[in-house]
Amino acid sequence: MPYHEFECSTCIPERKKHAVVKGPGETLADALPLGYLNTIPGTISERGCAYCGAKHVIGTPMKDVIHISHGPVGCTYDTWQTKRYISDNDNFQLKYTFATDVKEKHIVFGAEKLLKQNIIEAFKAHPTIKRMTIYQTCATALIGDDIDAIAQEVMEELPDVDIFVCNSPGFAGPSQSGGHHKINIAWIKNKVGTVEPEITSDYVINYVGEYNIQGDQEVMQDFFKRMGIQILSTFTGNGSYDDLRAMHKAHLNVLECARSAEYICNELRVKYGIPRLDIDGFGFEPLGNSLRKVGLFFGIEDRAQAIIDEETARWKPELDWYKARLMHKKVCLWPGGSKLWHWANVIHEEMGVDVVSVYTKFGHQGDMEKGIARCEQGALAIDDPNELESVEAMYKLKPDIIFTGKRPGEVAKKIRVPYLNAHAYHNGPWKGYEGWVRFARDIYNGIYSPIHELSKLDISKDEIPTDKGFVTQRMLSDANLPDEVRNDPNLRQYTGKYDMLAALRGKTYPAFEQHTPKEAAA
Amino acid sequence: MHCELKEKDRIGTINPIFTCQPAGAQYASIGIKECIGIVHGGQGCVMFVRLLISQHLKESFEIASSSVHEDGAVFGALDRVEQAVDVLLMRYPHVKVVPIISTCSTEVIGDDIDGVVRKLNEELLPEKYPGREVHLIPIHTPSFVGSMVTGYDVAVRDFVKYFAEKGEPNGKLNLITGWVNPGDVKALKHLLAEMDIQANVLFEIESFDSPLMPDGNFVSHGSTTIEDLKRTGSASATLALNRYEGGQAAKYLENEFGQPTIVGPTPIGIRNTDTFLANLKKLTGKPIPHSLVVERGIAIDALTDLTHMFLADKRVAIYGNPDLVIGLAEFCLDLEMKPVLLLLGDDNANYGDDPRIQAMQQNVDYPMEIITNADLWDLEDRVKNQGLELDLILGHSKGRFAAMECNVPMVRVGFPTYDRAGLYRYPVVGYEGATWLAEQMANTLFTDMEYKKNKEWVLNVW
Repeated sequence: MPYHEFECSTCIPERKKHAVVKGPGETLADALPLGYLNTIPGTISERGCAYCGAKHVIGTPMKDVIHISHGPVGCTYDTWQTKRYISDNDNFQLKYTFATDVKEKHIVFGAEKLLKQNIIEAFKAHPTIKRMTIYQTCATALIGDDIDAIAQEVMEELPDVDIFVCNSPGFAGPSQSGGHHKINIAWIKNKVGTVEPEITSDYVINYVGEYNIQGDQEVMQDFFKRMGIQILSTFTGNGSYDDLRAMHKAHLNVLECARSAEYICNELRVKYGIPRLDIDGFGFEPLGNSLRKVGLFFGIEDRAQAIIDEETARWKPELDWYKARLMHKKVCLWPGGSKLWHWANVIHEEMGVDVVSVYTKFGHQGDMEKGIARCEQGALAIDDPNELESVEAMYKLKPDIIFTGKRPGEVAKKIRVPYLNAHAYHNGPWKGYEGWVRFARDIYNGIYSPIHELSKLDISKDEIPTDKGFVTQRMLSDANLPDEVRNDPNLRQYTGKYDMLAALRGKTYPAFEQHTPKEAAA
Repeated sequence: MHCELKEKDRIGTINPIFTCQPAGAQYASIGIKECIGIVHGGQGCVMFVRLLISQHLKESFEIASSSVHEDGAVFGALDRVEQAVDVLLMRYPHVKVVPIISTCSTEVIGDDIDGVVRKLNEELLPEKYPGREVHLIPIHTPSFVGSMVTGYDVAVRDFVKYFAEKGEPNGKLNLITGWVNPGDVKALKHLLAEMDIQANVLFEIESFDSPLMPDGNFVSHGSTTIEDLKRTGSASATLALNRYEGGQAAKYLENEFGQPTIVGPTPIGIRNTDTFLANLKKLTGKPIPHSLVVERGIAIDALTDLTHMFLADKRVAIYGNPDLVIGLAEFCLDLEMKPVLLLLGDDNANYGDDPRIQAMQQNVDYPMEIITNADLWDLEDRVKNQGLELDLILGHSKGRFAAMECNVPMVRVGFPTYDRAGLYRYPVVGYEGATWLAEQMANTLFTDMEYKKNKEWVLNVW
């Protein structure tokens, strides 16, 4: 597994050990790219900051909370409306964002008084919301405001409110990952154990590391509810502040994104003895195994199996329709962190695509280890990629599609590589059985775009085909398919609705008999 | 007095209208060719601003970070700037202009970016890059001062100040556009061409409406060159369209090079475009050609179809960049509409001296509020809780939820407009912009009438 040296990066030797090519027959012991080290300044890295890791990734998906950033307005403005973490309370946390608006005079004389006035004002503006998270920023960390003391003071004055403080300034660590860690630890340290929940099931979980991007959490919640499992809290997508204060009463922590939220699971295990079970909502097989594992833990495998059978029968013919048409399409799997290993392998197994490259912006070596183990032989793995390296990789690998962020997607567009938004999705949710088909559908629509095909034609040099007034995706995808696949009566295209959440939100669930007496459970 | 200018009565910000200074400096920097800025601060100050601008323009472009981490915040991070400059120059051999843009963190810790630029000019550049043209320009944009608007203004001033040279008069006019869209630049260039005026358009971002080419060209950049910037000093005159975005640069050129200089008004609407052409005529002596009389006539014809039937008395709230907001308000008044709430998102103490605002204070004959240091809650709270009635909102995409919460139709205008397709391509300036704006407003009201079944049958005959 030789290190891969980018031509554009020969002048910065520190980059040499940040990329590898997975060679034939090699194991991870041969080489692993360095990871989670300080960024080399001036490389035009894609990394964000620890403030955004805490506030934007993990904090703000909490739905019934005033999220206020203590600093100048920029941090608040810039991280507002750039993600798709929705919630079932009419998206309060998406619609409203708060900044204490620190100005020069506050930098000089301190901003604690300003903070206190802000807190009171914000609660007054939204009288139905009684919970708040305050995020420190670079400026207020450096002037040394004691945010915890102010929060405490306000809580004493306004007994019906509760405030969580997250001290994770932008400079705290090499990337957003530093902020994930800080907010995990702050939450368990300061908030878990301060509310006692009502236990309504024999089987109680926290669903951790799930951010409800386009409704992922609600899709997964549906499976757990069908199994009769009580979801005490979700950390943090569509999650409620007070529910998350009661995390200590779960029987099991079900962990989805181990990159951003393993810390709190590990602490919950140490402090409260709650075991951690890593699961995966992406892909039929991994999801089926995950539900089975959860079922096994509680002794209700039959309930899990019933869901797996029903969902597979409903959606597998649709997934396979896309798989037949996506075989050996080349994919650059370039997300932020955990999706490189959540998706590598399973998109190959279940959608037929080949992962020719994985990269991670803020992942650690452990993420790379899992990602490389799961991607195809010959794949290029890059840690903390920068603009020139990504472009060089795209020219070299000539992928059919790339899964990355919005702005890098614009770079790909100009090189004529279609992109899907790996962070916020195109038309998600992508978790769950139906969601996974939606992902396949989005890949298919990206690759077999007639406009994408037209983008390659140079009308000044190439022969212009004049025999067609239009081309459909099917005409492109099925051109070289054998008849028996093209006309396979067992396969079909996606049949779901544009908004698949509406039906979920109104759903009722069967009542399972509870064996543990309520008192004992609580 | 019917029109009141006052500061927001809350201290904090709920749903900000502006981001901070470094974003404005970054927006100015992408207008320069062979330029990649380095933002000295945490990585989020670049990552999110690049995302924001790329959402608006649906393009990518390059801006670097000095990636200040914890050690830098504690011990000083100037070594990060030195390394960033070196790495950037090594890997981007075409780059000649590198603004060093400060942020709140590096201003608070007191990093001396002017000093590090001097050091790099004395050591790294002559030693490692002899013979290479490199311009390192410190730009101070602490986030706790001003807003993205002042950041843009400061950066434009500093670029001009750095490059402008006295030379043989080149007979060209400096046209400082302010924070506009590619479509605006195109429209302005069209007006200049019709007037037969040679102009130096700063900062030239028309190219950000860029093609997807069969051979794949991957990075968009602005078109203002070093030569263009140098020649600002030898121009025949300077016209800055916006008082708050480029006004300082115009004042500098006036004071330093004695150029005839006019700042504003923003050519939004018929009247302000007329003034713009009059100013062009005044500064260059060129007559206004018949073709523009025709173009103006087409616009007025289109507006006449709309004003007294559909737009008259419609109550409008407008928020965004100050020159844009004021220009739109003036145009709305000409269209017989009633701007009732103008929201300016920063605490610039000079708004009260703006003659356009003073004119509104003197002449508006119905209740109108102009709020400074405003946020979008000033809009939503007034509509939801204080009984303000609105027919239309004009503003950028960050107010999309406010508009939906208020159940008031909204025309996207300004920066950013990521939730509507292609708006950066259309001008709001010039006669063409006037037509586009009025028709957007009318069509938006029409759609709203139909969805709300509010006299939708009126449109049966028109």
